[in-house]
Amino acid sequence: MKEQIRGFVYKTTFSAPEKINDDTLLFDEGIFDSMGLLNLISFLENDFSIKIADSELDATNFGSINAIASFLAMKLQTKEICAGLPAI
Amino acid sequence: MEKPGKFSGDLLQLKDVNLVVANICSKLKDDVFHTLRCQGGVVGISGGIDSSVTLALAAKSIGAQNLLGVIMPERDSNPESRILAQKLADKFGVKTVVEDISLALDGFQCYSRRDEAVKRIIPGYNPGTDKMKIGIRADSIEKDLPPVFYLTVIFSGGTRESKRLPVNEYLQIVAASNLKQRSRMSMLYYHAESLHYAVLGTPNKHEVEQGFFVKYGDGGADAMPIAGLYKTQVYQLARFLGVPDEIIGRTPTTDTYSAEQSQEEFFYQLPFEEMDLLWYGWENGYSSEAVAKELGYTEDLVVKNYKNFERKRKTTEYLRMAPIRDY
Repeated sequence: MKEQIRGFVYKTTFSAPEKINDDTLLFDEGIFDSMGLLNLISFLENDFSIKIADSELDATNFGSINAIASFLAMKLQTKEICAGLPAI
Repeated sequence: MEKPGKFSGDLLQLKDVNLVVANICSKLKDDVFHTLRCQGGVVGISGGIDSSVTLALAAKSIGAQNLLGVIMPERDSNPESRILAQKLADKFGVKTVVEDISLALDGFQCYSRRDEAVKRIIPGYNPGTDKMKIGIRADSIEKDLPPVFYLTVIFSGGTRESKRLPVNEYLQIVAASNLKQRSRMSMLYYHAESLHYAVLGTPNKHEVEQGFFVKYGDGGADAMPIAGLYKTQVYQLARFLGVPDEIIGRTPTTDTYSAEQSQEEFFYQLPFEEMDLLWYGWENGYSSEAVAKELGYTEDLVVKNYKNFERKRKTTEYLRMAPIRDY
């Protein structure tokens, strides 16, 4: 999962992997701008079949590759739990 | 960087408006007649504060007889804009021409390209009866991320639906809408060239520095007389120059989408009086603590605004760049 996120970041920012580590602050350091955020949301929603709520859009969840990976893991876990619940 | 003293709410008030106006007028006259070697100027007037002050300054500088005001409404324009623009031109004795650009925009498929993207997100949207706009949420500055845009449709019955815009639809709506500013720029240059006049652009300091303009649209001009002025100062000049009160009292809007939308809602996220002071504080190296104290903000909010300004200036640099030629 983290590898996919790294791949997405390198590909969309045309950056060399050695220039971005997992803790690099993607927005603070100007690697991602508003277009980067929009692309990132689309990538996560489409490739991992999750829905990102407006309230989840903050730097804690999207600030770095590590933050994105933790957020995604949480979303996938929640999705899995919800899928196991009986329909009401 | 040298700071001009303690940070205070009245730092941006021009002490000598007469002198500022005289300096802008003197430079503009020299720029139009000598640097650009033109015989006059054209200004696109919308009934908004920025174009009104630009026209008023230009009339004082190069003479109303050497000036043409171009009013360019289109299907989504507020009808009041045209009336106010005419009133302004009459006040300063400037000739006008009205060019409705709706048919040109139809030719570019501006409306249909935009509406196609809107319908992909809100399928119930009917462009014939409903209104739409895009904008950012007021709380987005708190998120410490660049803002994302939301599409809002106001249905004919008064109900509204709002959704976050995905990347493709956002890009399509913005690209289609920017045809409006670029069509206006083409029309301005038509009139300018046919009279051997210069195009006088209307962006203020915030629009230029935060990238709130369309490259080769409203950003396409030969001179921009108010590009160094904060919005607070633009209003100060408006009062000094005698711009009609209805224009001064109007809420600044984009006048781009069919639904009413303030500039604050579309782009700035803050009332301009506060944004002016924050920007001044940031630009002149004032501490977040001093600015927060004066504005009654938390220090954290000032820091977030400073970061937002830095990000905007960096990410919009390409808009202010001339074509890269050093190959």
